[in-house]
Amino acid sequence: MHIPEIFKLAGIAIVIVGLALRLRTTLVVLTAGIVTGVIAGLPLLSSQGWFQGLPYLTRAGQEGIINMLGRAFVENRLMTLFILTLPAIGLAERYGLQEQAARFVRRIKAATVGRLLIIYQLFRVLMGILGIRLNGHPAFVRPLMFPMSLGAAEATARARTVDALPGATVEEIKAANAASENYGNFYGQNLSPVLPGILLVYGVMKGLGYTVSVWSLVLYAIPIATLSVIIAAIQFWLLDLREKKRLTPRS
Amino acid sequence: MTAITSALFSLNAVYVMTGIVLLVFAALNFNDRTNKHRVGTALFWFILGLIFAVGSLLPTWFAGVLVLLMVAIDGAGRVARGRDADEVTKSGQIKPQESTLGNKIFLPVLCIPFITFGCAIVFRYLGFNSNDGALVGLGYGGVAAVFAGIALTRGTLRQAFQEGRRLNDAMGAVNILPALLASLGVIFTASKIGDLIAQGIHKIIPGPNLFLLIVANCLGMALFTMVMGNSFAAFPVIAAGVLVPLIIQPFGVNPAMVAIVTLTAGSTGTLMTPMAANFNIVPTALLDMRDQYGVIKFQVPFAITIWSMHVLVMWLLIRLL
Repeated sequence: MHIPEIFKLAGIAIVIVGLALRLRTTLVVLTAGIVTGVIAGLPLLSSQGWFQGLPYLTRAGQEGIINMLGRAFVENRLMTLFILTLPAIGLAERYGLQEQAARFVRRIKAATVGRLLIIYQLFRVLMGILGIRLNGHPAFVRPLMFPMSLGAAEATARARTVDALPGATVEEIKAANAASENYGNFYGQNLSPVLPGILLVYGVMKGLGYTVSVWSLVLYAIPIATLSVIIAAIQFWLLDLREKKRLTPRS
Repeated sequence: MTAITSALFSLNAVYVMTGIVLLVFAALNFNDRTNKHRVGTALFWFILGLIFAVGSLLPTWFAGVLVLLMVAIDGAGRVARGRDADEVTKSGQIKPQESTLGNKIFLPVLCIPFITFGCAIVFRYLGFNSNDGALVGLGYGGVAAVFAGIALTRGTLRQAFQEGRRLNDAMGAVNILPALLASLGVIFTASKIGDLIAQGIHKIIPGPNLFLLIVANCLGMALFTMVMGNSFAAFPVIAAGVLVPLIIQPFGVNPAMVAIVTLTAGSTGTLMTPMAANFNIVPTALLDMRDQYGVIKFQVPFAITIWSMHVLVMWLLIRLL
């Protein structure tokens, strides 16, 4: 059976249409993978063990789609490792972690949300340089930075509790918190040769016939990393201006 | 003795512990009468726990079937949460119990980053892989934090698991998306989607126009990352399909210079896509945001600005060096 090459892009179309229709993401992604693999002529199962020589579903010497799925999922499960930290964070929250963090920051007069977040982003870049991977969203943003940001906003608004802040402000602060983590993580991690970004580029380029030094990869990552901090600082400064306008109590 | 120590402080030990936590979450959900899909929910977390604990021992076809099963359960809308997962205030905080702990409540949570650091540094010092060190540290940090929290609050292990389940249920099936997306990237690469893209670009930009090819390379990387949700999954495809045949070979460019800038051009795409669930959607769940796309909307102006910087930086680096 011969299918024109262009139909291989069906998987990408499935992802776009499926997400636009707000179908369940897990189902869309899996369907896209299987359809792409089938159209590209990959067998469903590897020709090994029980399935050796099975007609239609296997082809000698080719890894099956289902095998690929299982192998890749198991290899990448470290992305979900943060589940192990949830009991501790949940317990601390139950005993007032977030309230205490906000109370703590309320005492720091100079802190604004924007300044707090650019400091956090610089910290994230520093971790990148040190080659240390952090699971930032669950380990720092949720339990520490977010309540501290709320505390800073409360100080700006002279509000006593979080619930006195406008809903739009709280939502924007949440988004800015997640963003500062992402900015610092994405552009900082390429400043260390032991982190996966650099190792991936090194491995792929070697596979394509170009052996590059990991240190030169780090060197050429510096301009973009620097720009990322500057552009973020501008964005967070603008956020501060906006929030100041919205939160300053009118007398 | 050293064999036991190295097994205990391996990534596999952390995977097993995570698996056990997930199995407890599954059992708690199974017994939760307020969860109207308690069987499906319990089965989902049970399977994920199984994959975590013994994933590397399973034959790959069986792991694949388990993944299919999880997606089927979620696709049928059978992963739900009980009533206590909804118990949050407007700002996404749970109603705390009255406590007089003061700043001491930070101590258990601070265990997590400090042990993560500590392990990464110790692993590095001993000559092991410090990435593994950080992951092992994250795992043991989580465990140490639970016991520190119990000692401090005089709570129980059962209560800690209940609170952990509350957070986990609030996130739901989104938890498996990152690993699922990485699998999609592997299948796309095996299907040779990259060759197809190189042919397409050749049709649009016929001549050797360096600037336009840089734009095409950075745009292709960003767009493909947006579709796949993962710059790591997109990079092998774009490097083989665009970067090497259209820029490095014809112009004799230093490969290290353009390769790393291409990867971060993908990161700008990551900032703009719901497919990057771990970075853009999981946080909205963690922070209990009203708008599922709130983080992405905030990041778009930044991403577009820094994307244009990528084109400029790559062009200047090639021209000037």
